[in-house]
Amino acid sequence: MTDREDIDMLAAEYVLGTLDPDMRRIVDERRSHEDDLNAAIADWEKRLSPLNGHYRDEMPSRDLFPAIRARIEGARAQADNIVEIDLLKRKLARWRIGTFATGALAASLMVAVLVSDFASPVQDRQFVAVFHRDDTQPAFVMSIDLDTRAVIIRPVSATLPEGKTYQLWIASDQLGPAPKSLGLLENASVPTTRSLGEFDPALLRNATFGISLEPEGGSPTGRPTGPAIHGRLIPVKH
Amino acid sequence: MGTSTRDLEQFLARAADGDMDAFGHLYHATSAKLFGIVLRILKNRAQSEDILQEIYVRVWERAGDFEPGRASIITWMATIARNRAIDALRCDKRHDAVVDDFDIDQLADHDDLSVADEAERNDDLRQLEICLGGLDDDRRTMVRLAYLDGFSRAELAERFAQPVGTIKTWLHRSLKQLKECLGS
Repeated sequence: MTDREDIDMLAAEYVLGTLDPDMRRIVDERRSHEDDLNAAIADWEKRLSPLNGHYRDEMPSRDLFPAIRARIEGARAQADNIVEIDLLKRKLARWRIGTFATGALAASLMVAVLVSDFASPVQDRQFVAVFHRDDTQPAFVMSIDLDTRAVIIRPVSATLPEGKTYQLWIASDQLGPAPKSLGLLENASVPTTRSLGEFDPALLRNATFGISLEPEGGSPTGRPTGPAIHGRLIPVKH
Repeated sequence: MGTSTRDLEQFLARAADGDMDAFGHLYHATSAKLFGIVLRILKNRAQSEDILQEIYVRVWERAGDFEPGRASIITWMATIARNRAIDALRCDKRHDAVVDDFDIDQLADHDDLSVADEAERNDDLRQLEICLGGLDDDRRTMVRLAYLDGFSRAELAERFAQPVGTIKTWLHRSLKQLKECLGS
């Protein structure tokens, strides 16, 4: 049997439906990049589809359209979020380039973009920031509630090198030129809660946040010294 | 059905642009047809209704891929439905899917009485039936059971008391003979 015949019979049985599940999956995958296989499948669909005339109409027992619509809209909302995160990433990349160009920040510390950078209406009281290392996996997720002025940092995929610790920082014009320490994240595997009661909500709203990797016990200089993870604050919609 | 193929194509084109109302019209005009396919293959009403939902989500996602010149819209949708139903059948067979009581007369080897009526409605089907008529009885039944009811090679082997390898050979011979007869 030639290759051509093999492909034709594979396509024929795929359309007929007699291939086993593994083989069906392989064909599904192959047809996306094998034009001759895909064309053979289309030809067999054309040959055999007149048999569809033998199927009799059956009414589903209830109107399923509302459920279908909900599934589609659920999937679409998720897709929108992905687009939003993607846009944020691109904005962040631009911001980092700017930072490097001006050298305005300590080279070791990458911090969140200003909250006011987002078209955030005054009523937004809760924000989250996702901290990435090297734009890959999220390392920490931080949430902040302006009413209680509580900040919670949840490790996602952060691992702590031996003899090191993570340190949280806040920076704001009102606090002076240097970032101010918000303390250490003692444990890289459980959430850490910090009260930011000493800061007023307006300051927090416009502050920038960062997490840096420091020697055990925290930065010896009072300023971030080690490699840092950057994040951005996103208003939480209700 | 009071909806023309042209209407269906327009509903689908609008759905591809995100028009959910048009997609609702498409659903209501075609769901009985697609459900008939899925129910006959899965033979379980609850599972079929769940799979039907997945099928329409897929139709929505692929709405922009439909090319009117290649196949009729209903054939295009029926192909999506059959593929999904057969995938579901094969996967759930491993978990002893429940089969509802169903009418044995609906099975493919009892279809012949309706063939004359169907064939008059559809030239392509008539041509295909002529070619199927050229196959041995067993092999014709085999092709129908596979296509219409989703029988696997193993199920055909059991029904015809033949080794799976023999079934594969018979299927291939039958398919080649059909292709030759159809002249394409």
